[in-house]
Amino acid sequence: MTLREFLSDRLGRIALWMICAGLAAVFLCATGTQPGILAILLIVFLMVFLTVNLFDFFQQRARLLELKSILDGLDRKYLFTECVPQPKGLYERRLFDLVRRAGRAMNGAVSDARASQREYREYVERWVHEIKAPITASRLICRELDGDIRRKLTAELSQIEAHVERALFYARAENPEQDCLFRQIELGKIAAQAIENHRSLLIQNGIRVETENMNCAVYTDEKWAVFILGQLLQNAARYRGPEPVITLSARPLGRQTRLTVHDNGIGIPAHELPRVFERGFTGSNGRIRGGSTGMGLYLCRKLAVFLELELHMVSQEGAGTTVTLTFPAKENLTKP
Amino acid sequence: MLKIMIIEDDPAIREELTLLLKNEGYTPLAITEFTDIPGQAARERPDLILLDIGLPGRDGFSLCGALRKAAPSPVIFVTSRDAGADEVRALSLGGDDYITKPYSVPVLLARIKAVLRRGGGGSEQTDLLEAGGLRLSLTKGVVSSGEKAVELSRNELQILAGLMVHTGQIVSRADLIDALWDNQIYIDDNTLSVNMTRLRGKLAEIGLPDAIRTRRGMGYQL
Repeated sequence: MTLREFLSDRLGRIALWMICAGLAAVFLCATGTQPGILAILLIVFLMVFLTVNLFDFFQQRARLLELKSILDGLDRKYLFTECVPQPKGLYERRLFDLVRRAGRAMNGAVSDARASQREYREYVERWVHEIKAPITASRLICRELDGDIRRKLTAELSQIEAHVERALFYARAENPEQDCLFRQIELGKIAAQAIENHRSLLIQNGIRVETENMNCAVYTDEKWAVFILGQLLQNAARYRGPEPVITLSARPLGRQTRLTVHDNGIGIPAHELPRVFERGFTGSNGRIRGGSTGMGLYLCRKLAVFLELELHMVSQEGAGTTVTLTFPAKENLTKP
Repeated sequence: MLKIMIIEDDPAIREELTLLLKNEGYTPLAITEFTDIPGQAARERPDLILLDIGLPGRDGFSLCGALRKAAPSPVIFVTSRDAGADEVRALSLGGDDYITKPYSVPVLLARIKAVLRRGGGGSEQTDLLEAGGLRLSLTKGVVSSGEKAVELSRNELQILAGLMVHTGQIVSRADLIDALWDNQIYIDDNTLSVNMTRLRGKLAEIGLPDAIRTRRGMGYQL
């Protein structure tokens, strides 16, 4: 609060006092008070008036600064009303009360929203587990079918599974720490699992998968790493070129391990590359090939941040895409 | 015949699993009464138990301990719960393996075989396949006919094994690729053709150039 703001705020009051003082001076003058005495009276009045107003200004300013510093020092700003000092005077107490009531209403709204979000997440997880039973049954029933129909149906079932999987991980990504379990695991096992999960998609698209040097051990959450790798494999299959090959190779990088996933697919236009990790971004490839949700890479980045993986993508249109995943050294992990 | 007990509350999965295991040469034993499961296990003494976690009444976790006491059978958890913590819990409770739904059938069968073999009670997996005048040693990767023998690469070995298991039948290219993927050889159609040509060349070396017949539009036949 500046002096100017204070004065303009009190402009009406100051004007009123001045008019009163002027009228009193006119009255005193008319009733025969000597001009000398009148001057002394006016000066004294002005001094008192100025002092009172200046005192008010400094007091209000100090109070506001104090409250502001309390608010600034708070981690959770909405707890402000619980931390304010004793109110000075009735007016301030009433104001604090009002703010407190507003704060409580907000807290209630926030915790309701949290609860409903948690319930929704729990429902999604339960739903995902329930839907897996009929998918499993369908897979088993498929076995009795003729070769070609079986393969087509199996591929469709795998698509359903991939969508279900994304929904599950989307729900989980909200509170990743609940499901995370860091363990030492061989990269080859993660890759084999991810390939197995998407085998019908990969086989049906005639893709050859090559793995090199995958016997390095990394320290991460297996399921999440499998999910991330699975998304990359699905993308490579969806945006494949003629004679598609996916190469998975690993190499140690100091104490870290770098996994490179390379495909010889259609690639991503340079101007779209910075946006591929955005939520819902499908790009021109997604529009042309269809079936893109804009969720896969978004989830990958979100989970990678939590797993402390470095996720990078380079691509050349018409030549292919290379994604690198750098697994952190065990001792550099900030999570248990 | 090896007895496999299926503890699964979803009737469709239970039926299909029963059928699948029967076709694979096991004796499936599906539980339909979910009371006193440990007692049933103790009576039947199965060679392996497939245990779902989400069961009516008592869940699979608490059941596992009781089953372990009742019968010495190995237990494979089969569940749609896939949180890492569940897996650790299942294995620490004495489960021998943990498979999440929806599993692919080859994976399930491979895991069952692995656990049975580990338990010692499993069928003695023969290392040697014999068909159409060929002898194939899976561990050595050598195929022989009479006195002549030739070494095979990993891909060729798997292709030949896939054909020898189904001697006389037509095996489609797609089925061969599928079988190779089961063994973590991720090849495409072209690579299969290349490997097939090499395999035929090697078979010719040991005097059987026409062992594998191409059935146009259908696949291969040994």
